[in-house]
Amino acid sequence: MIHRTVTIKNRAGLHTRPAAAIVKLASKFQSEFYIIKEGFRINGKSIIGVMTLAAAQGTPIELEFDGPDEEQAMKEMVEYFEKGFEEEI
Amino acid sequence: MGKETKQYDRPSGWRNTQPIQRESITVQHFYDATRERFRLTLLAGGEGLANLITDKSLHRPGLALAGYVGLFTYHRIQIFGNTEIFYLRSLTLEEKIKAFSTLASFSIPCIVVTSSNGLDPELLAICDERKIPVFETKFETTKAVYFLSDFLEDQFNPQTVIHGAFVDVYGVGVLFVGRSGIGKSEVALDLIERGHRLVADDVVMVTQKGESILMGAGTDLVRHFMEIRGLGLINVREMFGIRAIRFQKRVEVIVELEEWHADGEYTRTGLDESTAQILGVDIPHVRLPIVTGKNITVIAEVIALNYLLKHYGYDASREFATKLEQVLLKKGGEKVSRGDRVIPYFEHDFE
Repeated sequence: MIHRTVTIKNRAGLHTRPAAAIVKLASKFQSEFYIIKEGFRINGKSIIGVMTLAAAQGTPIELEFDGPDEEQAMKEMVEYFEKGFEEEI
Repeated sequence: MGKETKQYDRPSGWRNTQPIQRESITVQHFYDATRERFRLTLLAGGEGLANLITDKSLHRPGLALAGYVGLFTYHRIQIFGNTEIFYLRSLTLEEKIKAFSTLASFSIPCIVVTSSNGLDPELLAICDERKIPVFETKFETTKAVYFLSDFLEDQFNPQTVIHGAFVDVYGVGVLFVGRSGIGKSEVALDLIERGHRLVADDVVMVTQKGESILMGAGTDLVRHFMEIRGLGLINVREMFGIRAIRFQKRVEVIVELEEWHADGEYTRTGLDESTAQILGVDIPHVRLPIVTGKNITVIAEVIALNYLLKHYGYDASREFATKLEQVLLKKGGEKVSRGDRVIPYFEHDFE
């Protein structure tokens, strides 16, 4: 199991479009993927879960990967967060 | 094969829950949430509404008023019942102010006066100065303490978020868990279609109540939205109406959906009851392997009905075991039953 802490970079925050993209990306991998914000630990493969986080710009969140392809999943997911979901920062 | 077994052995993600424990609430929040229910009125100290309540226990400050402040749990809500009020009334104004000032010199979050007893204006002035909100309720102490404790317990009890689908099936709170994509939401939808009620899908907030009760609810944002893969989001309340939903339910059975494993040990008789823990509370736990041709929805209904039967004192697996024992005992050594028919002789019944 690996953990990484990232922050939300784009101005609009974690809204519907990036939430859907995160879920889509996570579902590519076999590993389990959880997102933790202020103690709330939700399944990153669930669109409702990810949207529940309502994470605004600047919010630190923790990503948890667990499974056979966790390294690759972590790499791609962290990269997507770092890019600010390919949106205006 | 080794890989399969490893995955199977690894505890599923839903178990690694983190308890969320609230550390404090503001007096303002306490007032807003309870003013109508507990008929609270603010008598003084409105400037102290930002004070923090950090303990779910209450305190009767009788001894502190009498002058003994050792072990005074001043950080709790202070309840002024008849004892405190009548003691104060027995004092001269000067003594009264002195006794009350000692108490008010501590950082008390707030004071609740019961039985509409009120407090002298001189004492209320001290509270204004010390920024200690004073509330009055018309309820007598026993009732007020009961209401307030229940509220505070609810606010301070540990909570956690479980990834699963939570449905009221025949009045039994059934929580479906399992890896994403295994079909929890589909089972929930199927159950709704059959007249059962959805509590929450995907994000289930579980709160401990008392020692051994877990209450499950959805989050305010999600309410009764659901994601059905291939369709997207649907709103169960809009689609199926008010009868298809409820806000909260006690978590009574956990049903874990999983792929069938040939080497998995599944209960066959139901005599060996297993439990799973959420927030340290043991909840009956059924592992349900998914195989072709198996209707999970109907099985979920049977699980709920079986739970109800057990709750009302009937246990099918025990009864079967007892019957078997009786047969073995009766026939003893002579002749062991080869499974006699229910009806020994059909007569002329050819139907």
